[in-house]
Amino acid sequence: MTTTPEQNQYDLELKGITKHFGSFMAVGNLSLSVERGQFVCLLGPSGCGKTTTLRIIAGLEEPEKGEVWIDGRRVDDDPPWVRDFAMMFQDFALFPHMTIRKQVAFGLEMLKRPKEEIRRRVDETLATFEIGALADRKPDTLSGGQQQRVALARALITQPRLLLLDEPIGSLDFSLREAVMLELKDVQRRLGISFIWVTHDQNEAFSLGDLVVVMNHARIEQVGPPEAIAERPRTRFVAEFIQGNNVFEGTVESVENGNARIGTPSGSFDVPVEDAPLLAPGAVVTFSVRADILSTRPQAEHVNRLEATCNAVEYLGAIRRYDLQLEDGRSLKYEQFRSAAARIKEGERVSIGWRVEDGVLHASPSAPSDEHRA
Amino acid sequence: MHWRTRQKAAKIILGGITFFFLIFQWFPLFTMGVLSFTGPDDGTTFPMRSLSLHWYREFLRDSFVDDFKPPMYRSLVLAVICSVTTAGLALAAAQAMRSRFAGSDLFFYLILLGIMAPGILVGLGMAVVARVLGIPLAWYSTTLAVHLVWTLPFGLLLLLAAFNRFDRELEEAALTLGANRWSAFWRITFPLVLPGVIGAALFGFTLSYDEFARSLFATGSEQTLPLIIFAQFDRQLQPTLYAIGTTTTVISLGMVGLFALLFRIVRRRAQTTSPGVN
Amino acid sequence: MPPHQHHRMSTVRERASVSYLLALPATLWMIGGLIVPILFIVWVSFWTTREFALDNPLSLTHYIKLFDKPVYLKLVGHTVLQTMVLMGITLVLGYCMAYFIVGKVQRDGRKYLLIFLLIIPFWTSALIRTIAWIPFLGVNGVINQSLIFLGLIDEPIGIFLYSRTGITLAQVSFYTLMATGPVVYVMRNIPPSVLQAAQCLKASPFHVFWRITVPLTLPGILIGQLLVFLNVMADFATAAAIGGNKFAYLGNLVLLLYDSGQLPFASVIAVVMMVCMLAGVAMMLKVVDIRRLGAL
Repeated sequence: MTTTPEQNQYDLELKGITKHFGSFMAVGNLSLSVERGQFVCLLGPSGCGKTTTLRIIAGLEEPEKGEVWIDGRRVDDDPPWVRDFAMMFQDFALFPHMTIRKQVAFGLEMLKRPKEEIRRRVDETLATFEIGALADRKPDTLSGGQQQRVALARALITQPRLLLLDEPIGSLDFSLREAVMLELKDVQRRLGISFIWVTHDQNEAFSLGDLVVVMNHARIEQVGPPEAIAERPRTRFVAEFIQGNNVFEGTVESVENGNARIGTPSGSFDVPVEDAPLLAPGAVVTFSVRADILSTRPQAEHVNRLEATCNAVEYLGAIRRYDLQLEDGRSLKYEQFRSAAARIKEGERVSIGWRVEDGVLHASPSAPSDEHRA
Repeated sequence: MHWRTRQKAAKIILGGITFFFLIFQWFPLFTMGVLSFTGPDDGTTFPMRSLSLHWYREFLRDSFVDDFKPPMYRSLVLAVICSVTTAGLALAAAQAMRSRFAGSDLFFYLILLGIMAPGILVGLGMAVVARVLGIPLAWYSTTLAVHLVWTLPFGLLLLLAAFNRFDRELEEAALTLGANRWSAFWRITFPLVLPGVIGAALFGFTLSYDEFARSLFATGSEQTLPLIIFAQFDRQLQPTLYAIGTTTTVISLGMVGLFALLFRIVRRRAQTTSPGVN
Repeated sequence: MPPHQHHRMSTVRERASVSYLLALPATLWMIGGLIVPILFIVWVSFWTTREFALDNPLSLTHYIKLFDKPVYLKLVGHTVLQTMVLMGITLVLGYCMAYFIVGKVQRDGRKYLLIFLLIIPFWTSALIRTIAWIPFLGVNGVINQSLIFLGLIDEPIGIFLYSRTGITLAQVSFYTLMATGPVVYVMRNIPPSVLQAAQCLKASPFHVFWRITVPLTLPGILIGQLLVFLNVMADFATAAAIGGNKFAYLGNLVLLLYDSGQLPFASVIAVVMMVCMLAGVAMMLKVVDIRRLGAL
């Protein structure tokens, strides 16, 4: 294989990957580039193709179309045991018949390293992951958290460029997850390798990922750093999947000065457009506004206005979330910091406003998120 | 060689071995079935010069029927008794084992010994016991005793598997809803492990119906079907034996089919009436 | 499960006395139908004379007879050898099939079909299946005719019926199932992710097989081999029907002696058989705990 410096700036590249199971499309024409040492989270609901994508990278599934490049080397014709990566499975997939020491040494033994080196590196790794005391035990005597560390140690001992993680903390107790997340992030930073982390939990994705890839129905909906995903959802699906967005659907009434006026059942609102000429009046579009950017004391700059009644209040740690009812019966989410002074009581009427630039117009009228695109 | 080619080659070779073995295993039975329709002048092997029902008619002739009917009847009755007893005792034994009573390990090994102990030893042993103690050998007593020793372990293993699969929480729910242990068992537990009970009954029936080695020693003058077939075979191999063999094989397969059907019905009913239970 | 596990409600209480009642019928039946008969065999094997008397003096008379003629010891050797041959063949054949059915057949429907095709003959008469082999093996049998048809031989050869080859062929067809079944059962319980994890740790299929699959299926292999071992050791019907009594094994000798009324000597042969079996079982149990099968 030829290796050019240009390709080598990526730990992983996927180009036009497509995979069907029968007539069900699991991954559709998916392309993705992962730069050196990036922490990438594949985020999406179950069945969106994120795990299949991970398994295609590993070589455990074979795509019908597309290319897989790992560390500047095209590998789609290579079996898993030749590709340069490591993987952590959701159930950890520890070998039931091997002691922890054997387990951790397995990868190096397969690489046919000298015995002396294997012993030394196993000792080091056991120490690094603080599982030296478990060395002679079998996996079924370990707690979930211990198993997770063993799985990580086993995967990382071969010093791969790329670690694939399939919901790696999904089977752990909630109380453990936070600590394990921080630890994994720390490991990734220290080793400088890339992590591809599959999850359906947006909190995991946002707190860990350098890059978040939101997937739905076999396709990538949006790729970007967590802030971009949270603040500028590209599609209706992303806006609805990520908590804290209010989504409006309406018809374009007019387009001028880079803004579109969109008529919705709840009223008409101005939303900025990037490609104004492409948007003709009459088009059906969706846009969203973040619940925490709304203002309950609209100033002149808050051009878009709504009247609402407070339906319910939820306390979510640092924030307070209000369920507001609009005059047309729809509901609107509004969030404020717990420390905010202006509280709204249940049943109280409020005026809501937001600036033009707070609205985010979604890319091409996306299909309703529950439709099957097989 | 490319790794995919190698994997495909391995699959083809292993598949070929499996396919070849299945043919190897089934072909004699099929051949026997075919040969049972051979003409009256043909021998016990190929070529078949003509097709006929001659040997089935021969088998149904009076003199033959007089020989074969009582053993067949005995074998069927014995199989039914063995089937019911196996299911009942295995159910009780499995339910007992769930409580992990002191000595339940020993109990398990004791029953498992029934699979391990070869028929000839058990049969001979029973014959010795009967001779020494002066107990008459009979198909409904000594033969039944040794058959059950063989079928009970299968029943117990199936029922332990059935109990393992089902969800204790349903039982707990019934008990918290005020059912006593007895009615909770019959109304909740039993229907859920019924497929296992049916499986145990199937093993009890077919293994007893076809058993030869154990019966050979433990049965007295009133013989069971496999014994009379062996006696006939010892005298002379005639296509009549193929006709008999084909008939009993069809009966065995029919029983398997019947039980499989029952199994499916019970399982489906258990699934529809209690969602979430598999 | 550890005894300190917290109490759970169920239709059985932990260590409830009713359990003993439930276990009693099966226990009594197994003792009466299995343990007592075997103890009687041992007892009778020490009888001095053939006569039936509860006060028959005990001695090693019939055991000594065993060493009188080399033919008996040779028979022990033949039986053990035949058992070894069968264990070897069924191990390889059975494992290949289990590996194919569990590991290579993708669709569940086909998997079950193959498993069914494999085990259904278990529910038919072994005797009938033995008889069904005869038209295959004879001089004019199916095997000879096929070989002639294929042009591999010019005239029928007599190596099949009344020969060790014929007995072995038939026994392989009966007993391979016993070797395959437990392996299929154990192999199905290996999570696919474990094998995939090994692949991801750079293990080639060869290494995955020898380092993961084989060790994890070892209990199944041993249970299967144990069943083959016990059954072939004790098999007499196949040899009687296909071997034409020319190639007798220990089981045939037991039958012969029993029929001729030499009960103590028949018992001695049975005890020899049992000792061989116990030695084999003890060896295998050393390697694997049967109870762990259910836990896998």
